[in-house]
Amino acid sequence: MSELSLTVNGEKVTVAVEPRTSLADLVRENLNLTGTHLGCEQGVCGACTILVDGVPVRSCIGNATACDGASVRTIEDFDADPLMTELRAAFNAHHALQCGFCTPGMLVMARDIVLRLGEADEQRIRIELAGNLCRCTGYSGIVKAIRWVIVARQGARGELEQRPALPLGPAGSGHAKTGTDVSGATKATASSLRPDAELAARKPAPAPLGASGKKASAVRQSFLLDAPLPVVWQRFGEVPAMVRCIPGASLVSEAADGTYDIKMRIKMGPIGAEFAGTASQRRDDAMMAGVIHGAGRDTKSATLAEGELNYRLTAEGEGTRVDIEVSYLLSGALAQFARAGIVTHFIGAITAQFAANLGRSLSPEGAVGPIEDAGELRVAGSLGVALKAWLSELFRNPFRRG
Amino acid sequence: MAAGEQKAGKGIGVRLPRKEDERFMRGRGSYVGDIKMPGLTDVAFLRSPLAHGRIVSVTAPDELAGRFFTAADIAASVKPIRAVSGLPGFKPSSQPALADGKVRFTGELVAMCLGRTRAEAEDAVAQVVAEIEPLPPLADFAVAEQPDAICVHEEWSDNIYLETRIEKGDRSRIDGAAIEVEREIRLSRQCMVPLEGKGTIAWWDTRLDQLVVYTSTQLPHMMRTGLAECLGLEERQVHVVAPDVGGGFGFKCVLQPEELCVAWLALTRKKPFRWIEDRREHLVAAANTREHHYRIKAFADAEGRLLGIEADVAVDVGAYSVWPFSACLESAQIASILPGPYQMPFYACRTRSVATNKPPFMPYRGVARTGVCFALELMIDAIARQAGLEPADVRLKNLVLPEQMPFTNITGKLFDSGDYPESVRRAVETIDLASFRARQREGSDDGRLLGIGFATYCEQAAHGTTVYAAWGIPMVPGFEQATARVTPDGGLELRIGVHSHGQGMETSMAQVANQVLGIDTDRINVVHGDTALTPYSTGTWGSRSMVMAGGAVSRACEIIRERALAIGAHLLQTGKDEVELVGGRIQGQGGSVGFADIAQAWYKSPETLPADVAPEGLEVTAGYKPMVDSGTFSYATHAAVVAVDPDFGSVEILDYVVVEDGGTLVNPLIVDGQIIGGVAQGIGTALYEESPYSADGQPLASTFVDYIIPGPCEVPDIRIVHMETPSPFTAHGIKGVGEGGAIAPPAAIANAVNDALRPLGAEVAMTPVTPHRLLAAIAAGRNGRQPVQS
Amino acid sequence: MKPSAYRYARPSSVAEAVRLLADSDGGGKVMAGGQSLGPMLNLRLAQPELVVDITGIGELASVREDKDGIVYGACVTHAAVEDNRVPDAANGFLARVAAGIAYRAVRNRGTMGGSLAHADPSADWMTTLTAVDAEMLIAGATGERRVALAEFMTAPFSVALDEAEFIVGIRIRRHSPAARFGYFKFCRKRGEFAEAMAAIVVDPAAGVSRAVIGATDSRPIVLPDISAYLPLSPERLEAAKAMVEGLGIAGEPIKDAMHANAFARALQQVKP
Repeated sequence: MSELSLTVNGEKVTVAVEPRTSLADLVRENLNLTGTHLGCEQGVCGACTILVDGVPVRSCIGNATACDGASVRTIEDFDADPLMTELRAAFNAHHALQCGFCTPGMLVMARDIVLRLGEADEQRIRIELAGNLCRCTGYSGIVKAIRWVIVARQGARGELEQRPALPLGPAGSGHAKTGTDVSGATKATASSLRPDAELAARKPAPAPLGASGKKASAVRQSFLLDAPLPVVWQRFGEVPAMVRCIPGASLVSEAADGTYDIKMRIKMGPIGAEFAGTASQRRDDAMMAGVIHGAGRDTKSATLAEGELNYRLTAEGEGTRVDIEVSYLLSGALAQFARAGIVTHFIGAITAQFAANLGRSLSPEGAVGPIEDAGELRVAGSLGVALKAWLSELFRNPFRRG
Repeated sequence: MAAGEQKAGKGIGVRLPRKEDERFMRGRGSYVGDIKMPGLTDVAFLRSPLAHGRIVSVTAPDELAGRFFTAADIAASVKPIRAVSGLPGFKPSSQPALADGKVRFTGELVAMCLGRTRAEAEDAVAQVVAEIEPLPPLADFAVAEQPDAICVHEEWSDNIYLETRIEKGDRSRIDGAAIEVEREIRLSRQCMVPLEGKGTIAWWDTRLDQLVVYTSTQLPHMMRTGLAECLGLEERQVHVVAPDVGGGFGFKCVLQPEELCVAWLALTRKKPFRWIEDRREHLVAAANTREHHYRIKAFADAEGRLLGIEADVAVDVGAYSVWPFSACLESAQIASILPGPYQMPFYACRTRSVATNKPPFMPYRGVARTGVCFALELMIDAIARQAGLEPADVRLKNLVLPEQMPFTNITGKLFDSGDYPESVRRAVETIDLASFRARQREGSDDGRLLGIGFATYCEQAAHGTTVYAAWGIPMVPGFEQATARVTPDGGLELRIGVHSHGQGMETSMAQVANQVLGIDTDRINVVHGDTALTPYSTGTWGSRSMVMAGGAVSRACEIIRERALAIGAHLLQTGKDEVELVGGRIQGQGGSVGFADIAQAWYKSPETLPADVAPEGLEVTAGYKPMVDSGTFSYATHAAVVAVDPDFGSVEILDYVVVEDGGTLVNPLIVDGQIIGGVAQGIGTALYEESPYSADGQPLASTFVDYIIPGPCEVPDIRIVHMETPSPFTAHGIKGVGEGGAIAPPAAIANAVNDALRPLGAEVAMTPVTPHRLLAAIAAGRNGRQPVQS
Repeated sequence: MKPSAYRYARPSSVAEAVRLLADSDGGGKVMAGGQSLGPMLNLRLAQPELVVDITGIGELASVREDKDGIVYGACVTHAAVEDNRVPDAANGFLARVAAGIAYRAVRNRGTMGGSLAHADPSADWMTTLTAVDAEMLIAGATGERRVALAEFMTAPFSVALDEAEFIVGIRIRRHSPAARFGYFKFCRKRGEFAEAMAAIVVDPAAGVSRAVIGATDSRPIVLPDISAYLPLSPERLEAAKAMVEGLGIAGEPIKDAMHANAFARALQQVKP
């Protein structure tokens, strides 16, 4: 727990909260100031807007501990505020609220618009208010109410409250004592509670990818390795060595049946996941081709991944041409976003790293390059896609067992 | 009354600012999430990552013992939700509170965990491992309809809850029609997105031996019935409170498995528990409405007169039938209302309600009418284009005429009153069609394409017993009741069983009472949302509250008035025929008495009462049902002017006009708010809102970044023109208006877009009209292809 | 949703922050205003072990001017730029960009450094500051290094920082008074992430005529010399569109046309 001191609605308060606590939960749960509403906790809807050091912020994504020492004002603090009194009258007269859930955030933002801009026409008001969603009113009454107050106050210019000199950094941050103290307990993670191997061992043997009728995304990639075909072929046969080439992947154990328990840690910017699962492969010596299957689970985000990597090797000059096709399928929290192209590019970047690692593992200066020299612009388009598949597939393998 | 005239007083027809605003504007509303109880425990759920699968095991570390529950723990004591439609051939589904054996949609509840805070409960969820063996996911109704598709419910023979067919009129009339247009028209699945999600807090009241459930619902009495039924309790053992509710729109009118889970915890552990739906849960597991698919043909003569409509409609209703409205409410409605406000000699419609591995379909503001209006009105414009006529003129040629009212249409709907063509004429005039066409011919100076679109609908509202009985839902509304009580100090308390969550009923019901009794609305309290305090009601939905509860309030107050007149006359030492109620006072020859005097007599000085005083006194519970209960028919014409940017596929709404007739308006300020708010949601359906699914049944919009609801810059000013034709069947001539605003915008806007795209030979026919869909339509038009809707 | 548990530290110096990150064994995450990280934490997409709040390091919320450029501390907020509380190295262009980022309540805490470190391909600063050829000042275990922003982002949400490094400042060359700018983004909803975006900087005194296409699925695309399209004529505009479309950035004609049109709109803002 961290102990914080803030000024909330004019009163000094000291509370102990976990470091993960948001400003919204601090005021709602610890201080019982429930007029601040949570409409999304994704920083989009604006229902949780409060004043921190005099300016509006999103309390759902404002870390409370970071705002130690700040001054916070919630909707409950504006009963006697002259401008808010005008706004309330205008909101009432213009039917600017229905269910009332967005209203506290709307009023806090409206007050800031009036104070900060002084003059604003309806279009400007709409733009300034764009970060506050209302599902009931269609905004018309809200915009008119704010405009009404602005017009009414125009005779009274100069009465606007003196705004404090604003800092350059994040509102509310930077007040508190600094140092190297670390607060909050080390957390117990799922993996520390149960060994990954045990988790993996309890996995059933699911149907092969595609057998269930599910549609996997597929990507293709080709690259050249600066090593002769037999060497590369042998290397592809060594699952542990291959796993070492995949960024974030590690081998946990090898089972007697030729499957491997692997772990794969994925980081895409702040997004992190750790998949535990199994991998196995089948090879066709005559065709110089093989398929690696993998499947795994990130328990923390309840996300499942499965995939297949098909590869085929051909000699090309002194080196080896590698053609891979990776199909992958994500299910669960990490799959539930619309920007699929980003995942593709991300996997592409990892694949590129894999190819580079593979090349290096085969020869110290081992060169690796994309077959189609499409230039930098398009690397992500093809190379990226392929490598993502490769990567995914290594952790989705268990689905092929049997 | 003439336009713009302000009615004085505080009765019916006055634009009275709302009484309820004050607490919300001071942050003193009380929503479920604001309620604190000592010892409150938070609940979080593990939701299925797969759309379809067989549960092999659900396990958690030993340290979670007592904080972790699965179907194994609750299945014996919590019955699954079963909403059985009375329509013949309906296949019922069983929805367990926690998935039992199988998961049927991504996001379905698999396990629940407890914590001292929500964060701790979620920490526990992150330690639970569910082994689920995948089954082929049915993410689209067309796949689910394939003969070899796996069944969502294994005991079924296919994935069709119900198929219906209707054919009316004379089929020969469409033979050789001069105009025949055919389209495939779709509405995407979307969410309702009240800004407050669902939430439930429950505990056991040992004093009253009752399970107390505070839940964010539109129909507390129905929730009591549903909870009791599933938990094996008698209804007297359940007390449901709907406190302030942050928007409903239909989402909060069905029994949710989460409510059952939280109630079961309170029931079995006798301690308080709560679950507050977060936005991700809402967008993932409650993406649940609007998804209609039409194959529709319209036939007309060369002058654009309708000869018939033939339609084949599929509704993708997801994995389960919701209680109490069932999986077939929409398809039953579609079949009966697809002819819209028009006359036609022939009509045929086949509907299917298809089960898929998606969340259960729920009724959303406008219910089937938004989809029906979209399909039908796009067809009217297609006819107009083919006939070379103004779309507005085609409407005028086919609408039911005022002199035909009341009119029974081809499916037997009884339109009560109104002048439908006049709404079109006024819309044409208000939006100034002639000037627009001139401007359109000149072209815009920024390269954007201008278009105008109209959509006309009539909206059956406050549907009564006969209508719902015919639609087969397991809960048919009857008489609505209200209680009116004069307090000992002469104020008035109204108790209504419906719930107000934005509709302003704390004000409008008081206005009805003021109209009858003259008591100042400041002295009237409206109590709602509590099964212990209010008369039974099927709740707030179907644009019924003002008609039904308003009628009941009116009746209760009328009875109070008679009793007050009797007491007042006695106090004034005169006969009852010699007094009248004026301005809230009983006036006689020799003076007047107020309600305070009458209440003083009744409650505190009964010795002063007349000998024959009504023993029921100043408290009345009265029931009400309109004399004809087939529903009121509000109607409207919406008109939109848009600018389409062919570079980015964006649509800007330059003007939007609503001409509507909602009968007698109790509070025009509130009605305007309902219309504008409804239009805003309709704009969302038209242009922004969509819950896309991957082919594996993964929902792809789990945040407000991917799921866009319109903000202040996306909703233009809406211009409203009122017509007021009182309903001949209801108290005060009130009609239902709550949903209407959300019905026509997708149709009006898509028609405007198609008008703009006409020179390009392109057409859109699917909601939402996203940039990608619009640009794909333009590309298809450029290549002379039919647009593909996907 | 609520974040998973993490530990929290608020160092007072860059060196302390670097040490905390280095000691966190990859589990550390830097936070400034938290406007990008916050939603990720709430959704549990990010589950760091340690959050290092750098807003206690005073110098990061300051601005330093040198001979021909301005260094913006990593913790300078969008609102500070929008309000001209800091000097604008690009003649008002930065303030204009800042005013269009998300919403005011976000801009009051969101920072330049945080946005760039988050590296969302659709975010405003990544594209526009690449256009002005900003340089990232990066602190790490071995001291400070500088990287051109164009080289900084490696993939969506991924940047060239090791686990003990973080952005301390952004240096932007002071543009000449004659410099001209174009910036266009297309968003479905105002304030949300862009579907298409392009930024252009033409500064003849510095020999710069540069465009950047953003809102791709990955890194922004730099067009180092677009002088062939200026001054603009209808023919050149068409040629410019065709050139961008021909890049096939999205590999899908509709999206590629959007990128081209965004570029054209930005180009039209660059007055001769």
